Amino acid sequence: MVESTVAIETNGLTKRYSGIEVISAATFSLPKGSKTALIGPNGSGKTTLLGMLSSLITPSAGEATLAGHSLTANSQSFRREIGVLAHRPMIYEELSPFENLQFFARLYEIDEQDSRIEDLLRAVGLWQRRQAPAQILSRGYHQRLALARALLHRPQILLLDEPETGLDPEGIRLLDELVLRAPDITVLAATHLIERASSWSDGVLRLERGRIVEATAKPSKTDAPPKIEAPA
Amino acid sequence: MNPMLTLIRKDLQLTWRDRSNWLSALSFACISLLIYSFAFDLVATDLKPLLPGVLWTTFLFVGVFASSQSFQREWDSDVLDALMLAPISPTAIYLGKALTNVISLLAIELVLLLLSTMLFDTAFLTAELILVVVIGTIGYISLTTLLSTLGTRARARSMLFPVLALPLLIPLLIAGVRASSAAMDEPIGSAPWILLLTVFAIWSTASGLLLFPLAVKR
Repeated sequence: MVESTVAIETNGLTKRYSGIEVISAATFSLPKGSKTALIGPNGSGKTTLLGMLSSLITPSAGEATLAGHSLTANSQSFRREIGVLAHRPMIYEELSPFENLQFFARLYEIDEQDSRIEDLLRAVGLWQRRQAPAQILSRGYHQRLALARALLHRPQILLLDEPETGLDPEGIRLLDELVLRAPDITVLAATHLIERASSWSDGVLRLERGRIVEATAKPSKTDAPPKIEAPA
Repeated sequence: MNPMLTLIRKDLQLTWRDRSNWLSALSFACISLLIYSFAFDLVATDLKPLLPGVLWTTFLFVGVFASSQSFQREWDSDVLDALMLAPISPTAIYLGKALTNVISLLAIELVLLLLSTMLFDTAFLTAELILVVVIGTIGYISLTTLLSTLGTRARARSMLFPVLALPLLIPLLIAGVRASSAAMDEPIGSAPWILLLTVFAIWSTASGLLLFPLAVKR
C-alpha cells in the first residue's frame, strides 16, 4: 500500500451562519511537509477555515481529510495529529508554564512527559520561568507557551492563526525554527505579514469573501514539490 | 491518568488556588444560617418543620453563587477550545467540571449541616439526610453546570443563569425539602420524595451529558 503524500485535502468545504456563506466550497490539497500561508483581508474567512480544519467549527457542507483522518469523524486519533496555535494563547493563566504543559500532556497521554515538557520549555525559553504563574508572564511569553502546547503531542499538522501575535524578534525566530522551517510538519498559517510569509512558505492560499481566489505554489525546499489545487 | 481524573485534578487545583468564589459563598451561607437562627429564636412554635426549607434555600443560593462561574475561566482565556482540540470527549469535560462542583458544594454543605446542628440544636448529620443532600446536590450541579455553559456563551450569564436555572430547579427544591423533612422524621404523607429527587438527578445528569457537546459546538 502506497502511503499518501497529501496532508490536508478539502472538498467543497463550506460554512454558513444564518444563511450567509462565510466559506464557500473551499477545495484544495496540501502535500505533507508543505508550509502554506493563508492570506486575505480581515473578514475573509481565514479563522473560520482554520476552525473547520481543526474541528472546532462544524462545516455546513463539504469534507476534509487531515493526516488521513476524516474531519467529519472527528475522532480522537484525528485530534492527536493536529496542533493549533491561535492569536489567543489558550492556556490557564492561573497555572505555571510547567503545570499547563503537564495538564495537556496528561490529556494527550504523552510518553515521558517530564522530559518532553523540559525540552519544549527550554526550546521556547521558558525553562527559567517554569514555576511562575502564567498570569504574571508577558503576552509574548504566553504565546511562546502556546507554541509549546501546540507542539507538545508532536502533531503532523499545525494550523496557525496569526502566530506572530505578541512575539518579539526572538520569539519569531523560535517560531521559524521550531515550526515554519521544521521539515516534518505540515503548516497552514493565516497571516497578514505577507512579506515575511514569502520567506518560509512553499505556497499561498488567498481568501476573499470566503472564496479561495488564488492558490500559488513556489518551488519546494523538499524533494516532492508541494501542490495546491483550487477549484477552477 | 484517566483524562477525566486529569480534568478533575486540575479543576480542584484551580478551585483551591482561586477559592474566593467558594469562600464568599460559604460566608454568605453561614451568615444566612446565623440570621435565621436569631430570627427563629423569637418564635415560640416548633422549628423543626421549617428547617429543611432553611437548609435548601441556603444550598440554592450557595450553588447559584458558585456554580454560575463554572466555565468562566475556560471562556475568558479560550482554553475550552484547547480542551475541545484534545483527544477527549466533550462529555468528559462536562463530567470533570460537574464532579469538581459536586465535591466543592458538598464540602460547603457539610460545613453548613454542622453549623445548623449547633445553631438549631437538631441532628442534621444523619445518614438519611446526608443521602438526600448528596442526591440533591448531584441533580442541582448537573443542571447548573450545563446552564453555566449556555449562559456564558450568550455573554449575559449573570442575568440569564438565574432566569434559566431557578424555574428548572423548582421540582428539585420541593423534592429536596420534602425528602429532608422525611429524613428528619417529620410527617409528610406517603409521597416518595426521595424517588422524585433521584429521578431529577438522573434526568439532569443525562441532559448534561447529551446537551453539553451541543452547547459548546460552533
